[in-house]
Amino acid sequence: MPGESTAVLANAGHRQSACGLQRIIARSMAAGLALSVAELSFAADNGQGAQLAATCAACHRLDGHDVGIPSIVGLSEEQFSIAMGAFKSGERSGPIMRTMARSLSNEEIAILARYFAARGKETQRR
Amino acid sequence: MTCWTRRQFGCLAGAMCIGALRPQAARGQAKARIIVIGGGVGGATAAKYLALGSEALDVTLVEPKAQYTTCFFSNLYLAGLRSLESLTHGYETLAQRYGVNVVHDTVTAIDPVAKNVSLEGGAKLSYDRIVLAPGIAFKAGAIEGYDDAATRIMPHAWTAGPQTRLLRQQLESMADGGVFVLVAPPDPFRCPPGPYERASLIAYYFKQYKPRAKILILDAKDTFFAQDVFEDGWNRHYPGMIEWLPGQFTGGIKAVDVKDRSVKTARDTFKADVANVIPAQEAGRLARLARLVDQSGWCPIDPMTFESKLQPAIHVIGDAAKAGNMAKSAFASNSQAKVCAFAILAALTGSERLAPHLFNTCFTLLASDDAVTSAISYRADPETIKVNDFFLSKVGDKAETRREAVREADGWYAAFTHDIFG
Repeated sequence: MPGESTAVLANAGHRQSACGLQRIIARSMAAGLALSVAELSFAADNGQGAQLAATCAACHRLDGHDVGIPSIVGLSEEQFSIAMGAFKSGERSGPIMRTMARSLSNEEIAILARYFAARGKETQRR
Repeated sequence: MTCWTRRQFGCLAGAMCIGALRPQAARGQAKARIIVIGGGVGGATAAKYLALGSEALDVTLVEPKAQYTTCFFSNLYLAGLRSLESLTHGYETLAQRYGVNVVHDTVTAIDPVAKNVSLEGGAKLSYDRIVLAPGIAFKAGAIEGYDDAATRIMPHAWTAGPQTRLLRQQLESMADGGVFVLVAPPDPFRCPPGPYERASLIAYYFKQYKPRAKILILDAKDTFFAQDVFEDGWNRHYPGMIEWLPGQFTGGIKAVDVKDRSVKTARDTFKADVANVIPAQEAGRLARLARLVDQSGWCPIDPMTFESKLQPAIHVIGDAAKAGNMAKSAFASNSQAKVCAFAILAALTGSERLAPHLFNTCFTLLASDDAVTSAISYRADPETIKVNDFFLSKVGDKAETRREAVREADGWYAAFTHDIFG
């Protein structure tokens, strides 16, 4: 239940519930293994990058496990910006990406470039 | 506690190391309650992004069915190119990873004054905001004789699942040389290329197994989406197999007779061996129940937030919404759900709000190695939503471009359903 964790949090200082907390932490570590790092880092984020990236997520998996569609997680800022610029100008073919790129401002593309580069680095570090 | 959720993980992580960074998860503070009604593409996406966006929301998704079968790509099942199971998705990940409270029940009433939702099972849920994604309903009496019982003889297959399976069974049982009649609806309706992709992919099946069969499309309209691209595809892949009769030729579709599987237009009666009747559509039942529908049959909304113009604190997304020039499609519903979720997050948690980005992308198969694509970006303002930029495949595209689009379509389906349910 969503409310349960708040209750645990509120009682965390009490000796009798500390055991329960340890048990829950142990479970969280086990469950954590099943969660992909990319999904976790996305979890706490509703900032500019995450909001714009939600648009990309309709076609590109944010855990990088794409098949048949190029993965965009882990591209460097420069790679991402160059690719989007090339779609925007028509230098690179790909009508869906051209439509997407043309709807984004250069500033929004820069925000996305930073966002995906940071996600890529985070995934590598772990 | 039987399952572990992201929400709980987040709170514990906060308690252990970064508590100061999570003011919304402060102890004892009541969470804002969001009820998402309808677990299709729009509803499931909204529930996921609301839960992902903040710990300060309590997100409940109410959906009667345990699993959802996507209507998009269900024409590939009719063609024998995919199983229905591969198009079916559960809500487990929304519950377990994102902490969405998934309730399998049916909404019987929405009270916008007391701000609660009644469920068939007896529960009454209070809300601060509702996101309603009720999908479509068929207009009662639009085609005489086409009632619930008739759908079991002449399926619509316009919501995927048993109806789609029934249509496939009928196509399999049909003799070679039989006539398949497809009744196509008037605008606006769910998935503008859908009926014509269906004709294409049923022709793909007939070409292999019943090469003497014919397909007759009786259309309520005089033109349809990407008509030249479809007609070119039909001539190349299935010459002489598909005939399309516009509304101006038939005078409109008037009635069906389930006894002899016939469709009556203003001028003729067409007898079918298999008939697929897709009637005129309007916003789903719950939209009417909650008085969210105007005289158009659809739900007027604020394009910046998708909040209803008729009931405050209720947002309507997906096919039921009257979203300017946006197509009624799964992709559009997913796009609207995100704009709506971020607007609610901004209103309730003070998170930053960006200008809405609304899109529609579509992969449509003409054959197993020939897909056409379209992409549309939209511009929303406080009044309406207009097309900003538009792309559609053209007659004369290279064969390799169309083959590549089939591969992209497969990859897109996997990524898109992961975005919604994964």
